[in-house]
Amino acid sequence: MIMERGDYLIRKVFFALVTLVVVVFFNFYLFRILPGDPVKLIIHSPRMTKEAQAKIKAQFGLDKPIWLNTERLRAGDVAGALDTQFVAYVHNLLHGNLGVSFTTRRDVGEMLMERAWRTVVLVATGEAVTIVLGMALGLLAAWRRGTRLDSGIMLWGLFTWALPTFFFGIMLMILARGRLPVGGMITPGLKLEEGLVYWADVGKHLILPTLTMAVTWTSGYLMIMRSSVVEVLSEDYILTAKAKGLSTLQILRGHALKNAMLPMVTMMAISLGYTVGGAIQVETVFSWPGIGRLMFEAVAKRDYPLLQGTFMLLAVSVIAANLLADLLYSVLDPRVKPE
Amino acid sequence: MVILTLLAAGLAACGSAEAPASTEPPVEKATEPPTEETTEPPTEEPTQAEPSTLRVGVTNIWDTANPAFAWSGYDIRFLLYDTLSEWAHLDTFEPGLAESWSVSDDGLVWTFNIREGVTFHDGTPCTAEDVAWGLNWIIENDIESMAFFLEDFEEVVALDPTTLQVTLSAPVANMISALLIYTYILPRSVWEDIPEEELMEFEDLEAGIGTGPYKLVEWVEDEYLIVEANEDYWRGRPPIDRIIWQQYATDDALVQAILAGEVDVIGVPSTAVQTLQEVENIEVSIGPTLAIFMLIINSHEEGSQPDNLNDPAVRLAIDHAIDKQQIINVAYLGYAEPATAFLPPAMGDFHNSDIEGTPFDPDEGNRILEEAGYVDGDGDGIREDADGNPLEYRLYTIEGAENARVLEIISDNLAQIGISAPPTVMDEDSLIALYPDYDFDMIYWDWGLDPDPKFAMNLFTCGERVEGGWNDSGYCDPEYDEKYYEQGAIVDREARRQLLWEMQEELFEKRPYIVLAYPLGIEAYRNDRFILNNECGGVITKWCLLQAEVVQ
Repeated sequence: MIMERGDYLIRKVFFALVTLVVVVFFNFYLFRILPGDPVKLIIHSPRMTKEAQAKIKAQFGLDKPIWLNTERLRAGDVAGALDTQFVAYVHNLLHGNLGVSFTTRRDVGEMLMERAWRTVVLVATGEAVTIVLGMALGLLAAWRRGTRLDSGIMLWGLFTWALPTFFFGIMLMILARGRLPVGGMITPGLKLEEGLVYWADVGKHLILPTLTMAVTWTSGYLMIMRSSVVEVLSEDYILTAKAKGLSTLQILRGHALKNAMLPMVTMMAISLGYTVGGAIQVETVFSWPGIGRLMFEAVAKRDYPLLQGTFMLLAVSVIAANLLADLLYSVLDPRVKPE
Repeated sequence: MVILTLLAAGLAACGSAEAPASTEPPVEKATEPPTEETTEPPTEEPTQAEPSTLRVGVTNIWDTANPAFAWSGYDIRFLLYDTLSEWAHLDTFEPGLAESWSVSDDGLVWTFNIREGVTFHDGTPCTAEDVAWGLNWIIENDIESMAFFLEDFEEVVALDPTTLQVTLSAPVANMISALLIYTYILPRSVWEDIPEEELMEFEDLEAGIGTGPYKLVEWVEDEYLIVEANEDYWRGRPPIDRIIWQQYATDDALVQAILAGEVDVIGVPSTAVQTLQEVENIEVSIGPTLAIFMLIINSHEEGSQPDNLNDPAVRLAIDHAIDKQQIINVAYLGYAEPATAFLPPAMGDFHNSDIEGTPFDPDEGNRILEEAGYVDGDGDGIREDADGNPLEYRLYTIEGAENARVLEIISDNLAQIGISAPPTVMDEDSLIALYPDYDFDMIYWDWGLDPDPKFAMNLFTCGERVEGGWNDSGYCDPEYDEKYYEQGAIVDREARRQLLWEMQEELFEKRPYIVLAYPLGIEAYRNDRFILNNECGGVITKWCLLQAEVVQ
């Protein structure tokens, strides 16, 4: 059994790594098949002379061929044939170096670190509220299945499912204007060292984005929770439990909830994977300085190193979350036998 | 509106451009040179009132703290660093670190009298020797953001602590109005010890040290930036104690932020003007900018446009057919002026005011085409040329709600004179990718221009039709080029103006661009907290901020 689980684990990790390698490759290629010239996108100004553009290109290695330096290969210089953008990219990546952003001229790894925790704070809060709310509503709807309360909750779920995040965010912003901050993460000038005051300020800035996420994301959890609880409640062992004289609450907690948790775990793990990029809309509406917005700006400016960095982070977190879901599943559900 | 980064300082422009330097230069206390021990702020201040803080809401603070690689955030940088001459109003320039200057008759030797007693924010003095070191540092290290301004500088030396001499390899017309206003004087104490290979990643707050009216205090990327008044500024302490730039992700968020009282100043999208005008305590100021909206017509002799588009009659007819006022009313809600000459009126006398523009007159357009032999032979509503080729053109623009609307109008307008040009909206990448081969017919786009016309006029020179060049119309005329180089070397402004007027005349006749509108800059600020001047090309510009009044 332990051996089996070990094999299973190794297999899963292996596939995750293979996925990662493919991502590394595509991550590089996809952005480069786009038309246009990134240097001209950095600044569209006639003031930037041809010489300045050439210099920037050389600085970022954009003057090199993408895959293979055929010119130098033809000249018999085999090592020189590898003097390409791709080789430089892989080389840097293996050294943990994500490169320097075209626009900010800063280390991409450093930029990602700065943003990552901001996104984590935002999304963790949002997810926590969403999950609790979704599970509670789903359980309630399933328990009161067929009643007006159930229909009401379902209607709410469908309505919020269809509600565009950005639209709802802007409406909230207009409603709460003057009482709550409409953007940013912190009042300028406040320092981390100020402790409680700092976090209270962050908390204030968190309310609107969290509410937006909670309302627009809840329905997914709600629906899954409701349908799995409804399904479990129709099982024979629930009838048995009822016959044994257990109270509804005991049945829900002891039997229904536990079995309904399986699909919930999958969903949580997967949405955890999208944590990094999933908040793009919320971050944009509420000017939250996280990864989502960084990604958005990197796309707009065609900042290759920043694009590669943010998408790599996104890919890694999705792969890791899926791996985690697989592993958790085998622990939670003894029926999922590693084959 | 992507290109508007070009002149961040000028584009949020307000106030009248034609108005000469009507305002006095800011309070000057040059008579009493600041003391040497400037490293720490003065401890007196008997009545320590709450410091005044101006909060500016923006969608992009700046790209980097390092001025050597900076391509945005000019407003902020002009507050941190001084330059030898300063851009005071849209078309006027004032002495900066150089009190006065003279130029030799051949235009090759410039002598500047450098202000005495000026110190950098770190307390080190800024003499003519330091200025010379700063300029030479830019030239020797080929500093990306500034070196090209100084490409004709042969030698920069300090003759004594207050005299700077610059020897040029060729005379230049725009020494005061272009070259010197963008070259920040940076302190030797900070930059001398940074090895060239580490230069690019130098991001410390020290990079913000200059001699300007404000000191860089804090910067959190994509969040906020704080500057504080420089007590020792040579013109005297600036009126506002602290300025904070706060970054929001969208224009909508900016509007909400000023309504919520989170910020005091914003740039306003035209859709929000009416809302803000109705709010008490918010003043909306509207003024000219140095930008243009134009229709680029492919003029490259090897471009992929149909031959009939090269016919001046067709171009004239197109110009008559486009309803510029409708474009302004529908797409820009009235916040733009119909255009005439290539250089906008905000450039002062460089704008050729003799050019009256082409009146909207589709009948005249039809008549011109008819006369030139373009008739609709097959009755499909589209005219054909003598060889039977229909007048069908590819009409593109860059993505953006306003641009899409403008393109619809142009397309409808052209249909009225029997020209088919279905509108296509593209992303910037795809549009830029069309350039190397000049593979388009017409593109609606915009430019933000410099106060000096050098780079604007360069857009039509033959030399810019190469990779990395900016000649987007593909226009090339050796005579135009000759005039371009001549105007670039004339120190006499009037003689230069004449050439610039002739060049604009030529552009108007040949129509590589049909300039459609001059956009207006719109800003809003809290007038219960500050009284801001808007005659300097935007309220958040150095000269206007130095004249600001704090209300509360």
